[in-house]
Amino acid sequence: MSLFLIAALPFLGAVFPALLIRAGRNACSSAAGAVTLLALVGVLLHAPEVFRGETVTARAPWLPQLGMNANFFMDGLGFFFATMILGIGLLIIIYARHYLSREDPMGNFYTYLLLFQGAMVGIVLSDNILLLVVFWELTSLSSFLLIGYWRHLPAGRQGARMALAVTGGGGLALIGGMLLLGHAAGSYDLTTILERKDQIQASPLYVPALILILLGCFTKSAQFPFHFWLPHAMAAPTPVSAYLHSATMVKAGLFLMARLWPVLSGTDIWFYIVASIGMITMVLGAVIALFKDDLKALLAFSTVSHLGLITLLLGLGTEEAAMAAVFHIMNHATFKAALFMTAGIVDHEAHTRDIKRLGGLRVLMPVTFVLATVASLSMAGIPPLNGFLSKELMLDAAAHTIWNGSEWLFPVLATVGALFSAAYSFRYVVHTFLGPVRDDYPHKPHDPGIGMWLSPAILVLLVVAIGLFPEALAGEIVRTVTDAVIGGHGHYHELKIWHGVNTALIMSGIATVGGLILLALHRPLDVAWLAAPRPEAKVIFDACIGALIRAARAVTDTLHDGALSRYAAIFTLFTVGLGVYAFSTGEIGEATRPMNRIEVLPLIVWFCLIGATACVVAFHRYRVIALVIMAIIGLVVTLGFNYFSAPDLALTQLSVEVVTIILLLLALNFMPKRTPIESSPGRRLRDAVLSIGAGVGVGLLLYAILTRDFAFPSISEYHLANSYKGGGGHNVVNVILVDFRGFDTFGEIIVLGIAAVVIFALTEAILRTSVRAKLLNRKPDWPVAGDSHPLMMVVVTRLMMPVALMVAAYIFFRGHNEPGGGFIAGLIAAIAIVMQYMASGFSWAAARQHFPYHGIIGSGVLVAAVTGMGAWLNDKPFLTSDYGYIHIPGLEKFEWATAALFDVGVFLAVVGAVLLALESLSRYAWRPNTDSPYPMDINPARDDPRGGRED
Amino acid sequence: MAQIADYLTAVFLVIGGFFGVVGSFGLIKLGDSMSRLHAPTKATTLGVGGVLITSLLHSYAIEGYLSVHELMITLFLFLTAPITALFIAKAHIHRHREDYDLPETGDDTCWAVLEKEEVVAEPLSDSLEDMKPTE
Repeated sequence: MSLFLIAALPFLGAVFPALLIRAGRNACSSAAGAVTLLALVGVLLHAPEVFRGETVTARAPWLPQLGMNANFFMDGLGFFFATMILGIGLLIIIYARHYLSREDPMGNFYTYLLLFQGAMVGIVLSDNILLLVVFWELTSLSSFLLIGYWRHLPAGRQGARMALAVTGGGGLALIGGMLLLGHAAGSYDLTTILERKDQIQASPLYVPALILILLGCFTKSAQFPFHFWLPHAMAAPTPVSAYLHSATMVKAGLFLMARLWPVLSGTDIWFYIVASIGMITMVLGAVIALFKDDLKALLAFSTVSHLGLITLLLGLGTEEAAMAAVFHIMNHATFKAALFMTAGIVDHEAHTRDIKRLGGLRVLMPVTFVLATVASLSMAGIPPLNGFLSKELMLDAAAHTIWNGSEWLFPVLATVGALFSAAYSFRYVVHTFLGPVRDDYPHKPHDPGIGMWLSPAILVLLVVAIGLFPEALAGEIVRTVTDAVIGGHGHYHELKIWHGVNTALIMSGIATVGGLILLALHRPLDVAWLAAPRPEAKVIFDACIGALIRAARAVTDTLHDGALSRYAAIFTLFTVGLGVYAFSTGEIGEATRPMNRIEVLPLIVWFCLIGATACVVAFHRYRVIALVIMAIIGLVVTLGFNYFSAPDLALTQLSVEVVTIILLLLALNFMPKRTPIESSPGRRLRDAVLSIGAGVGVGLLLYAILTRDFAFPSISEYHLANSYKGGGGHNVVNVILVDFRGFDTFGEIIVLGIAAVVIFALTEAILRTSVRAKLLNRKPDWPVAGDSHPLMMVVVTRLMMPVALMVAAYIFFRGHNEPGGGFIAGLIAAIAIVMQYMASGFSWAAARQHFPYHGIIGSGVLVAAVTGMGAWLNDKPFLTSDYGYIHIPGLEKFEWATAALFDVGVFLAVVGAVLLALESLSRYAWRPNTDSPYPMDINPARDDPRGGRED
Repeated sequence: MAQIADYLTAVFLVIGGFFGVVGSFGLIKLGDSMSRLHAPTKATTLGVGGVLITSLLHSYAIEGYLSVHELMITLFLFLTAPITALFIAKAHIHRHREDYDLPETGDDTCWAVLEKEEVVAEPLSDSLEDMKPTE
């Protein structure tokens, strides 16, 4: 099966549970299971190649310019992890089917789970480090959904947020590290990078890249000091914990360290950072785990401890240690997933996970007892279980490690870690299952159905089998995977239980005996532990996040305090500052263009503009007057565009001007007609200085630009030359909009549509609050006209509507070759309809408008998108346009470009957006009892000319 | 023939220009809004009309084709000018309704231009005050 398909299957399959939940819980879980099984089979089919030492690849360019490609490869390491992710995923899916209760939305659960699984499979199969980062972020996001699955629980939400903040923050560091690494290696392809060890380690970027990548790995794998998120993520349903914290999420960090082991390891800095952090995490996690009363918290800290163990092994940088790490990844996944599931069973049956309320379950839940015991003995490192084998290898590796000249530090710490590890493992069994049967369980426990214990049973079988026959079952795969980790062929010892009496065995013995002693002393130790002051991670984390939020808020509130004048002042000041900086550091060339002669007519119009601007300043407290003067400025600008041969701009400006004025008038309807004086003289002086400075600066800049030739060749020549040849239109402006920069336009119409929908949404939201009552009780500050909808206006707008629409059509169709186009046509059509609203009132017009504006916006975007996709049928990139000529008898031959169809999309989006915005604003003014069945207030042709308004 | 056309265009151009000046002058000269409303009517009808006729004649007799843009412009002017005048007058009466002694309508309803009878429910509170920004 192609690697593309394997990586895509979970994502594609994620749709099925969400849909099939309607067909029942079994259908839902079977779909999820089937998808996972299919992907697993796909991976396993590649087993022969992988065991021969070959790599399976699948490559496709994605963004080759950025070095980002959808390249996948599977060697031993990828195969091992993919099998683990999908295999344990399958067991989790079976288990979760029986674990989740009827109230839990199971469709969501499996969808999230498959998304997460897909992201994990993507990480382990990526052959491109940028692609890997993408999947990495996807795991952070999907794990957020999984951890916060029980969204009614505050702990779940907080845990999910914490996990997202920590792993997402680490992801940011990882992106930086990966970019540096790719830069140092000269390639973003993993296979290439893995061959360039010397080049990378000689690069000055090696240390920053290493630290950033390790930050990503340590946050993901919950290494000290980022270990705190993992226990809080235990608020998730147990299947999630079992999946995320045994086989997948936290192993992603380990995977990445193993993946990059050939290029990053082998240096002192790698050893001292990775091995030390691993050691600290292992010991710390083990010690805390012993004193946790919550079964899942105990397991969470034990996971932290074991992850530290594996990190330690990877940090040592030797082949044997790498092999031990691989072996322990496998063993940990088996026993830890089983343990989480048994903890879930206990919780499910006894309705508590508090060890202090449990005990004696051995009699009540024999099956669970056996499974949990075997798994935890493996975790404790008791022969002949698989945990013993890898722990032995770890102790052996630690025993031969010299840390900063000290021969005894690592062996002793490793023994202490193993000792506490044994202690909490024993405690898990002894305090939960052994002891007398109690009569105060929250719920009378008994063994669950086979559905729930089948999955842990399979894993426990593996635990025992690997422990008994390590070489036969796991030897081959561990060696293949280790070869992939170290990027060569290593010489390894056989995996076997009995190595003779050596240092490791003695350390192991000390650990086991010490563990039993610790367990016996647990009660006094526990009291001492609880009495001792210790930092609470969540409090520190919350304080840090709180401080961050306060800092961010302080900055934001200073810059954006809601006063428009302040934003404008900051923005203007900044821009002026940039201009001054550019002017004082750059240099300005000689003027190369002569001034145009000043004509009389433009001069007069220019004086109008200056006069109008001055009037706005003088009269800005009278809002309606200011609006009228602004309209004059708009018209002058339009004339200016036209005078300087920009008819397209002039047309657009004119129609935008009309729409803007109407919008502002609508808004003014709700505001006092005069602005009070709000700012102090000092502030007004500041504003005056700022605005005059900015205005003069912009004027000088424009003057400088216009009197000089472009410093670089401008793109206009290209557009002029290719407009007809490439885009099939003579109107370069329109061809740029719909063809050369069609993708921009596509984005813009979407933004326009979103803006309109947001205005609508805000209106809806505001009108549901008490504002509505205020609006309804509003007393107009000016007498209302007797005939708001006068006969003359109504009749004329009716007459004008078809004319205006015809003009819109005309402007639209000629747009490709002459000034015009979909945008302007859309505005004109919108104005034609707005006229009806204005003439006959909102309610009357709205009652006769049968197409919802949302739909018009949506259809516009869809039409544009479908037109763009049409290019794919011709194997051209999105939005490539084509054109041809059409002959219709009776008409001249005319040209028809696909760009025109795209323009239809623009047209519809503009019409919908403008009208939706205007309609939303009009809704504020709506009042009861003002709806009239008549288009005009007074119609002399009616029997009752005033239309029965009196009631 | 061309000579006649030349003379005709010249005459209409002068007429148009003259009434344009008259209209603009009146706009400045006349005292109040109601009187001032009359001035632009000269400019829009006779003034612009003269120029349009000139344009028609010019294109037909001298350029040699019939242009219909001018008819469209006339149509739009005839449509928009009355509406503008109506709204200006309405607004003016509204603002100065105390100054005018409007005759009785001969009906029990008041003048259409003035405010309609109260159809809005009694206000519960003076909400405009509440809606002002608090800054």
